Amino acid sequence: MWTIGRFPALWVLPVILPVAVLTIYPIGYALWTSLHQVMLLFPGEDWVGLDNYKAVVTGEYFGAALKNSLVFTLFSAPLVVLIGTATAMFLYRDFFGVTALRSIILLPWVLPGAISAVLWTWVFHPSWGVINSTLFKLGLIDHSIPWLSDPTLAFVSITVAHVWTQVPFTVVLVMAALSAINPETIEAAVVDGARPFQRFALVIFPQIKAIIVLLLVYNALIAFTSYDLVYAMTGGGPGTATTLLSFQIWKESFSMYDFGAGSAVAFIVVAISAVLIVAITWAIPSDIFGEDEPADAKA
Amino acid sequence: MQKRNPFLTAIGALLILLFTGGPILLAFAGSVIPDRVMFSPDRGLFDEVTLENYRFIFTGELPPAYLQSGANRTMISDAARQAPLSLWNSAQIAFASLVLNLILGAPAAFIYARYAFPGKKLTFMFLILSPLVPAVALITPIYMMIQAAGLVGSKFAIIFIHAARALPFTVLILSIFFRKMPGELFEAATVDGCTRFQTFFRIAVPMALPALAATGLFAFMLSYAEFMFAMVLSGDSSTRPMSVVMAALARNPDVSWSLLNTAIFVAILPTLVLVALIWRFVIADLVRGAVKA
Repeated sequence: MWTIGRFPALWVLPVILPVAVLTIYPIGYALWTSLHQVMLLFPGEDWVGLDNYKAVVTGEYFGAALKNSLVFTLFSAPLVVLIGTATAMFLYRDFFGVTALRSIILLPWVLPGAISAVLWTWVFHPSWGVINSTLFKLGLIDHSIPWLSDPTLAFVSITVAHVWTQVPFTVVLVMAALSAINPETIEAAVVDGARPFQRFALVIFPQIKAIIVLLLVYNALIAFTSYDLVYAMTGGGPGTATTLLSFQIWKESFSMYDFGAGSAVAFIVVAISAVLIVAITWAIPSDIFGEDEPADAKA
Repeated sequence: MQKRNPFLTAIGALLILLFTGGPILLAFAGSVIPDRVMFSPDRGLFDEVTLENYRFIFTGELPPAYLQSGANRTMISDAARQAPLSLWNSAQIAFASLVLNLILGAPAAFIYARYAFPGKKLTFMFLILSPLVPAVALITPIYMMIQAAGLVGSKFAIIFIHAARALPFTVLILSIFFRKMPGELFEAATVDGCTRFQTFFRIAVPMALPALAATGLFAFMLSYAEFMFAMVLSGDSSTRPMSVVMAALARNPDVSWSLLNTAIFVAILPTLVLVALIWRFVIADLVRGAVKA
């Protein structure tokens, strides 16, 4: 690794600048807007201090939305990591058709949220969704289950669809982590007579623990800020059953045109995300900065 | 490795296939089965399999079922016919984002991978953490910014935002590839009098071509799947990308189910190719280590 005395602006700024324009400026702007009264229908942008925050926090939706977001995050992040890790362990083996399966598993990742939402509406639809019609044909139910209109079931349906969209990324990263394990350590464990569960708990898991922690935090962040599935599947309903905090930003700004209130919610979301982002920086492996020797020097 | 039970393997594979591919297969089934068959319980599902919805989307020829008297013409939405054009729009936007990402991202990734310089850790940290700021919190200010620039409704704004949002990933992935290259090559180039740019352009880039293709595909995919910025910033149907058209169609309660599913499956088809390419170039490389060993 060579050292350059000054900051190589010509090489780096073309990347830093666009990214900064799309993050630092909007965050500053959201902060400014949240402290002013900015409504599309009324001219003037008066300083209102923390009034927007007060109005939002004491509003009738906030408590429900915050609780929904936290419950959603608490359920979906561990589920994604659990299913993703199990799938990665399975796909890491060699069997007929595994290559095709490894490609297919990526599909949900490539699809826009809007399409995933339609696909799952189709699965959960009360009268001709595949779940209800299958249960019906098997004679297990005699009336349709309201997957998307019962508050609890709607929440479950959203969670399932969200987990579906997030599993592929976890699978890819866990497989990458698995490939970094020295296979000799596993063979040694087999020779020593370790049973499959012991092999996982004592040999494999300690070596992929770091990436699993990272993925848990990352998925918590994604779940906490996701909104497109709710937007397209339930619109936040029934009632406020699936209204997430991130969806509330959208509602305040673009359906009530109260940008001040929308920005206040946005800033609350950013603040909570910031905590998770700090957690991620602790979990990131330190060699990602390339401070140590490049990989070829070690090999 | 020890023996596995092939029966359990088959069950596991089937479960994964059903969970991942199930909803997509349902969309395909829904696209070839007319609504009237779907909703009448006494008919066999596969009695009247037809491709008439596909014909409507690509040629505008109305399916015969909708021409019969008493059929509900509103069920057949012209929005579905935007699908091919929106795919073309998505392809243009995503390809422009891909090119921008490689031109802007590759030099930066090279510098981050091979040199130490003041401000390196801070700027790199900023780059890889910035995608974690929730987009939904940034959308309003960004919309106002683009509006002030008079670019709402043009593809340029969407291209710029998609490119900028993919750049951190591009730099991160490419810098990992550049770090894996043998250092002796670059030392030899420097000894032979190559400038920093010549070293990058004549040595690093030709060697990294597969990695560049892979990272480009990744940027393409991020743009292709993005929905929120595209929705807020796109204008009429001549600039609207696929994700926006699909969302509009999906939220229209009157559109016939089979037509909706057809449009969705038309939009899914290119992603099947994309997924195969991404696996081939990006992830196979990532996972190769142990398979080789």
